Amino acid sequence: MANATLQNASIAMSRESDYWAGRFTAMASPCEVLIEDATEARARQIVDIAADCAWRIERKFSRYRSDGVVHMINSNAGRAIVLDEESASLIDFASTLTKLSEGRFDITSGVLRTVWTFDGGSVVPTQAEIDAVMTCVGWHQVEWRKPVLQLRPGMQIDLGGIGKEYAVDQAAARVEEIAPGLSCLINFGGDVVVRNPRQDGQPWRVGIEASEHAGTALRVVHLSRGGLATSGDSRRFVFHRGHRYSHIIDARTGWPVRNAPHSITVAADTCTQAGTLTTLAMLQGARCEDLLRASAAKYWIQPA
Amino acid sequence: MSDDNNLGATLAAATCALLGVSAAPVMADEAERWSFDTALLYYGENDDRVQDVSATIGARRAFDDERLLNFTLTADTLTGASASGAIATDAPQTFTSPSGKAVYTAPAGETPLDDTFHDTRFALNAGWTQPLGRLYALSAGLGFSTEYDYTHLGANLSLARDFNKRNTTVSAGLAYSQDDVDPVGGAPVPLSQMLDVGDLSHKRSSDSKDIVDVLFGVTQVLSRNTVLRVNYSYSQSSGYLNDPYKILSVVDGVTGDTILRTPAPGAQGPTGIFLYESRPDTRAKHSLYAEMKHAFGAPVLYGSYRFMTDDWGIDSHTAEVRLRWPLGSTSYVEPVLRYYMQSQADFYHPSLVQGAALPAYASADFRLGEFDAVTVGAKFGHQTPGGNEWSARLEYYQQNGTIAREQLIGNQFAREQYPDLKAVIAQFGYRFGL
Repeated sequence: MANATLQNASIAMSRESDYWAGRFTAMASPCEVLIEDATEARARQIVDIAADCAWRIERKFSRYRSDGVVHMINSNAGRAIVLDEESASLIDFASTLTKLSEGRFDITSGVLRTVWTFDGGSVVPTQAEIDAVMTCVGWHQVEWRKPVLQLRPGMQIDLGGIGKEYAVDQAAARVEEIAPGLSCLINFGGDVVVRNPRQDGQPWRVGIEASEHAGTALRVVHLSRGGLATSGDSRRFVFHRGHRYSHIIDARTGWPVRNAPHSITVAADTCTQAGTLTTLAMLQGARCEDLLRASAAKYWIQPA
Repeated sequence: MSDDNNLGATLAAATCALLGVSAAPVMADEAERWSFDTALLYYGENDDRVQDVSATIGARRAFDDERLLNFTLTADTLTGASASGAIATDAPQTFTSPSGKAVYTAPAGETPLDDTFHDTRFALNAGWTQPLGRLYALSAGLGFSTEYDYTHLGANLSLARDFNKRNTTVSAGLAYSQDDVDPVGGAPVPLSQMLDVGDLSHKRSSDSKDIVDVLFGVTQVLSRNTVLRVNYSYSQSSGYLNDPYKILSVVDGVTGDTILRTPAPGAQGPTGIFLYESRPDTRAKHSLYAEMKHAFGAPVLYGSYRFMTDDWGIDSHTAEVRLRWPLGSTSYVEPVLRYYMQSQADFYHPSLVQGAALPAYASADFRLGEFDAVTVGAKFGHQTPGGNEWSARLEYYQQNGTIAREQLIGNQFAREQYPDLKAVIAQFGYRFGL
């Protein structure tokens, strides 16, 4: 379901205590760019660049856009497609994540959405329904020799799991090109990056929302530089036979992960790394902390 | 997980390949959990009266989901003199000190001040706040303080509930405290006479009082910039409520002069007839308090008013206005103006007439008299780049008392009746986190 008004979304600028803030919507999320120490015109220029980057990536990689790469790939399953440099890099990255997670993370697992609805209810698909969909799931069934990609007929890819954090880091890189050294915080729906520390030595304060107390910060992270991402959404889950299943599906089994924590927040050098680690950790369920410790990144877990 | 040991490195390499550039190392930390508030305060009254220096340390620890622990430790030293309740006469006067072991004197024509007390007090308070479910919050606290002649132990509990999407908060609280009074030289028998040095026959041992407080409050968000808070509270004290060091002069019914007395041969003691004060052994207070905060853009205006009435006949009003005015992005200045007035207690007597029937209760303590007071001051605060805050506060307090004509007798009109009190308050504070 394409959204024709994406291009036209507006940017709202405001002056907060000691920084400029530009807000807009992209990738179905509230986005903001906070800029320290700049004139209004400069700040506006920076926000425009970040928003343009977000909208470009959304147009190109959203599975809803009929003019995007993902749609092109999905409607050509069974045929060999040649990808552009950027798309090929993303596919390479996704492939690495599949290897790193031993198959739990898989961009071909999006089709399982058709049988799982995470609305807090207790309706679960039958094993037969899952098995039927699982025939079209599995990176091992994909032929990928950069830059040529060939899916088996019936397969679909979905880059939603890595798109937002990638967009954040790209937006930061574009901003750095025109305003090197300036401290900006870019936040696309909770995926955050800060390229440069602030001039006044203070960190940016990022509030992680407590799932049950919407609007109040469960914890405040002081981010001077780097990426920050949080995964987990307590409003999307399913109850089945006394177990609570998160909305994150393990691509090996077709079932959602059991006993995952409420949410995991990770701070890493880039937002891509932070977001990836939260996803990989959630996929480990109860053993998420082992993975996070192994990664040597800073993390905070809100237990279920 | 395959090759866990290299997860970080593998991911970093993959990300570098994706983004085309390697990133500088992350710098991130959780917000400080412990917050400390320290303050040093000086209070000084005019004419060598009371001086107080106190140091306070407060520590506050925030936990996940709005649980809060806080401690405060205060140390106070009090020196100087305060009015004993006796009235001025044309001749110098001598009094037995509270310990019963020495005497002190007052010059002719001046309101007698008792300067024999020097005290150091320590106080410790601890409090805990805990959310209960989504809309309730429970707070509980303990307090303890000790000084040479006084020990206080108290506990409090309160419950708050949010309504209207947290725009309204209703709270109810209960506090109980038990105080032990162990005056220097013993608690005097009320309305007994001050005796010579070494004669403790009018003194008894320690005593105690307890206080129960009940509070109901409503906080209401009126608009994006305005918050209103209204409280009603009731306080009931019972037990030993006298000030063991306050006295009244017994005077002649026509001249108003203090009746003279000579100490026993060879002894030192009072040169006049003085009786120890007597207050009722219960006191019930009702208070109504309203406070409004309004933000005009960055500056914030605070206004508050409190009305108090009790069964001792005292009614009081307090009105305060403060304006927090930001200076740049890291500092502020906050001028304050406060006005206070109170009526006198039913049993307030500047002196007692010799030969007249003794009232059940009598006190000449100026703090129970009729007076009004103005405080003017300003506070300045500055936030450091590290997020800590320095502050300095200076206030000037002036109190003027009145004694009704019908309570004064003869020569008392010509003398200082209720001495004006002026005081300076200076405080330095530093707040930091760990």
